[in-house]
Amino acid sequence: MSGFVFRALEGRIVIALAIILGVAAVVPALNLLTPPDSTFHIPTYAMSLMGKYLCYALLALALDLVWGYCGILSLGHGAFFALGGYAMGMYLMRQIGPRGVYGNPVLPDFMVFLNYKELPWFWHGFDWFAFAMLMVLVVPGLLAFIFGWFAFRSRVNGVYLSIITQAMTYALLLAFFRNDMGFGGNNGLTDFKDILGFSVQADGTRAVLFAVSAIMLALCLLLASAIVRSKFGKVLVGVRDAESRVRFLGFRVENIKLFTFVVSAMMAGIAGALFVPQVGIINPGEFAPANSIEVVVWTAVGGRGTLIGPIIGALLVNAGKSFFTGAFPEIWLFALGGLFIAVTLFLPRGIVGAIQHGYKARQALKAAAEAEKGRGSAETVAQAAQAAE
Amino acid sequence: MTRKIAFRLLQSLCILLCLTCSFSAPSLAQSGSDPKPLIDALAKADFSETEVLLGKLAATGDTRLVPALEAFNAGDLYFRKADSLVFIGEAAGSSYELIDPLTGASAGQAPKNAVTKIKINNTLRRAIRSALGGLTLLSPDRSVRLQAADALLRSPSPENLDLVETALAKESDAEVKARMEEARAVSLLPSDRSLDEKRAAIQTIKSLGGRNALGILNTVAGTIDPSLKPDLDAAVSAIQSEQQLWDMAQNVWYGLSLGSVLLLAGIGLAITFGVMGIINMAHGEMVMLGAYSTFVVQDVIRDHMPSLFNWSLAIALPVAFLVTGAVGFVIERGIIRFLYGRPLETLLATWGVSLILQQTIRSIFGPTNQEVGNPSWMSGSFPVGGMTITWNRMWIIVFSLTIFFALLALMKKSSYGLSMRAVTQNRRMASSMGIKTPWVDALTFALGSGIAGIAGVALSQIDNVSPNLGQSYIIDSFMVVVFGGVGNLWGTLVGALSLGVLNKFLEPSVGAVLGKILVLVLIILFIQKRPRGLFALKGRAVEA
Amino acid sequence: MNTIAETRSKSLLYLENVSVSFDGFKALNSLSFVVEPGELRAIIGPNGAGKTTMMDIITGKTRPDSGIVLFEDDIDLTRKDEADIAQLGIGRKFQKPTVFESHTVWDNLELALNRDRGVFGTLFYRLTPDDKARIEEILETIRMTARRNDLAANLSHGQKQWLEIGMLLAQEPKLLLVDEPVAGMTDAETTETAVLLKEIAKTRSVVVVEHDMGFIRDLGVKVTCLAEGSVLAEGSIDFVSSDPKVIENYLGR
Repeated sequence: MSGFVFRALEGRIVIALAIILGVAAVVPALNLLTPPDSTFHIPTYAMSLMGKYLCYALLALALDLVWGYCGILSLGHGAFFALGGYAMGMYLMRQIGPRGVYGNPVLPDFMVFLNYKELPWFWHGFDWFAFAMLMVLVVPGLLAFIFGWFAFRSRVNGVYLSIITQAMTYALLLAFFRNDMGFGGNNGLTDFKDILGFSVQADGTRAVLFAVSAIMLALCLLLASAIVRSKFGKVLVGVRDAESRVRFLGFRVENIKLFTFVVSAMMAGIAGALFVPQVGIINPGEFAPANSIEVVVWTAVGGRGTLIGPIIGALLVNAGKSFFTGAFPEIWLFALGGLFIAVTLFLPRGIVGAIQHGYKARQALKAAAEAEKGRGSAETVAQAAQAAE
Repeated sequence: MTRKIAFRLLQSLCILLCLTCSFSAPSLAQSGSDPKPLIDALAKADFSETEVLLGKLAATGDTRLVPALEAFNAGDLYFRKADSLVFIGEAAGSSYELIDPLTGASAGQAPKNAVTKIKINNTLRRAIRSALGGLTLLSPDRSVRLQAADALLRSPSPENLDLVETALAKESDAEVKARMEEARAVSLLPSDRSLDEKRAAIQTIKSLGGRNALGILNTVAGTIDPSLKPDLDAAVSAIQSEQQLWDMAQNVWYGLSLGSVLLLAGIGLAITFGVMGIINMAHGEMVMLGAYSTFVVQDVIRDHMPSLFNWSLAIALPVAFLVTGAVGFVIERGIIRFLYGRPLETLLATWGVSLILQQTIRSIFGPTNQEVGNPSWMSGSFPVGGMTITWNRMWIIVFSLTIFFALLALMKKSSYGLSMRAVTQNRRMASSMGIKTPWVDALTFALGSGIAGIAGVALSQIDNVSPNLGQSYIIDSFMVVVFGGVGNLWGTLVGALSLGVLNKFLEPSVGAVLGKILVLVLIILFIQKRPRGLFALKGRAVEA
Repeated sequence: MNTIAETRSKSLLYLENVSVSFDGFKALNSLSFVVEPGELRAIIGPNGAGKTTMMDIITGKTRPDSGIVLFEDDIDLTRKDEADIAQLGIGRKFQKPTVFESHTVWDNLELALNRDRGVFGTLFYRLTPDDKARIEEILETIRMTARRNDLAANLSHGQKQWLEIGMLLAQEPKLLLVDEPVAGMTDAETTETAVLLKEIAKTRSVVVVEHDMGFIRDLGVKVTCLAEGSVLAEGSIDFVSSDPKVIENYLGR
């Protein structure tokens, strides 16, 4: 067990963890402890925006675990994110209590409006924080488990799997738009007041939420790193590169995929749960297939199959999105579309992947040159050069 | 104007149905004689002479008289003092707008004191109604008689019985006669005729069928003689089961109609994804471009040669094909060809293309829906038995099947189709046999895109033309192709139609949205069971 | 009857009347085939004779339409999937060398080691001195000790074939199915491979599918010739290669 965690602490990961935890401490401190006119002051809205990006980064990390390492391109990870968000949203709705517009102590406003007589059964327990947090993990995890159990067992692969994950999130989108699903239909869940008794609007709560987002990102990064660097992680990459070989070596590929898919879905659920109180709303739009595909591009830009890449990709692309939609709203979709094309054509490994690859290739060339001195083998140099391409 | 007359005609039929007096049928022998002098004679006639004139007017069987008679009934018939000619008058300020009683044409205005209203009493009113009824049921125009009988069918009343029977005795046209028989049966049931006659009437109504017949039988069920009850019940259940059959047929039709839309959306994808294996997420945008091409073509036609409007779709077809085909060609040459063998990357890149295409259209045309008109032959509907079929759905089904079979022929019969299949099956072998594989790739992708564009022309007739049009089709299209079996055109056809029908059969019981969700879930489960779709190729080659 | 039952009970692998067809094409047609413990067997036959399909059936990739497939007399292989069969002790080398290209040679062997293959077993796995020694030993056997830290992607074609054989050894199978091990190898490599396979066959049964008649001669073992999905001839290489049916169907092309 300890070996499992220690293995995770490889050089780059330690640096990344240190940076993320540093941010978790520094940003809230700058927000709360500096006066508003100070140059170092970070306004609350900016902190919440960054908190939102951190949630996206966690979502991208979750996707990377299944796509980058296991080769499963999920076009439905937004669904897990949204389900985690809804679980959190349900807790927050129950915390409103009698302060809603209609003043009903039990039923949220939208239920009063839709003439609900009593709380639907699946809303019970969500007034209890621990239960809600459990559901943040269980609901996406369970969906991933059921979906994956069917899909991986019958060996639905590649683009087929991508397409049905997309159909999954699309079906959920349609379902959550329905008023009689009991999740607020079109408008979703909003007008939150408190979380654990603290106002969600208060600067202090925001700061804590930001710090928790960063810490969760760090923890998930650590977990992902531990998984990836274990023998299981090597099998995972094996599944990505030569699935039938793994099968013929006696591994149960469906279990390997299922485990990874469920862990990844839970991470996405956590991301969604942290996202909702910081943006103040969750609605069916989060299930839109386009959202899930956007996550794929963050991951691709940063570099799939590297753990740090997706985090960087999510932060960069979303910062770009905020900038463009503010400055040139017309241009944003052009930029995003162009980014999709450019990354696939010119930067298939992503930013971090390309840097890593360049580094490795140089190392290989150097090693080969030394080997040549020793053995005089031209072949090795040629191979290394080939690898460097 | 014709519409106005038709409207009046209907009005007059309603009056006819209120008929309370016995009806003496004028003979049709004098039909064809000019009614104009008869009308003008009204100016000088006293009440009893007027009654005779009305009989003669009815006897002409000239339906042009209907507006005049109606106006007479409403007290709007005048004669001009100067020349004793009769007109329909409509008050227009201090004067009257004079309208020719036969042609409906305006005859100028006249001050109030220049005309005199033709007087009327209750006896005459009855005579007018009789004349109106006779004019329609006894009209020499077959379609008018048919319409009159239909109107009677819809609102049965025992008072009409004599009138119908009179008309029936004179009727020679088989179809009209049958309709009148039905009208008679309908009116007979609530009357005080003999049980035998009623029993026969129930049989007639039973064979008539439909909701209307069911309604009639149910209305009289409470009051009818108990001895007729078994006949009535048998007739009701017979009609009901027939009705269920028609409902099912209607559902199948709606399903086929939805299926044809799915087929249209999916068929281009069956080429690019099914045959070439390219995941083209911009496929929906090709459909959207096709719809916008239609919009632009119609816009140009409206501005420059409105007479061609009914041809606008025919003109839009090649335009849309060329536009989207060209866009497809550029996408293949510019992006996709670098990504062969990397399907997931293709998916991402083409998604990027779809975003760019959407935003381009949004920048040019704006984000709102564009108005695309239906040519006259696309609007309206016609009944088939117990169901209604709209022309646009009808044409879209025909159109989608036409495209399907044309494509099938192209793939199977032409040399281009042969080299295309060769390239997709064994690229290197095809290349070494002298087939220009890059060229075939580009053309095939352009073809798939062009067909999506053509689909867009058709879909512009039934859907909102907006930049988001394509997004609503992309998932459905993939579902159709995957469900039907990749690489198999027949699978796409069967997949599209069966998914359409399934959807429409689920809809009545669970609602449209839930029905759609269920279909999606079913497809997801189905793919688990048969990962390669309905018509899958089996064997070693595809496993590898 | 008695002799059949006897053959069956002595066999390691037992196929009787196995048939399978794809869309009407009969890939295997009442194929019967027996491998005894410790045997090294070569299979030859023209393209489409059903050699690979036979391996697919033994390893659980394809289900037969009819027929019996037994391992160690009492295990019905048609009811098991690839992972089950691999865990039973049947290893398979593909026609095209299939190794984990983004892993090092060492990692490839480590993954193949016959250890707990469950999710949690692999998550918390730590390399023991025993496992280390075993991997070193295999590296020695496949002559790759010097390249242990190289990525498999950077190996030559022949080296990949050997690495794959090494992975199969790490699996510690009772039966090894080897599909065209010397395709694309130099003559020297081919000879060495024959030596390697003979060495491996000392401790387990090996079935080799190969086109290279010289290589099969090097092996010097019992040969089975397949054609059109069933056995055409069986015996020593000289016996089989002089069979007129074999000459017509395969050699004489």
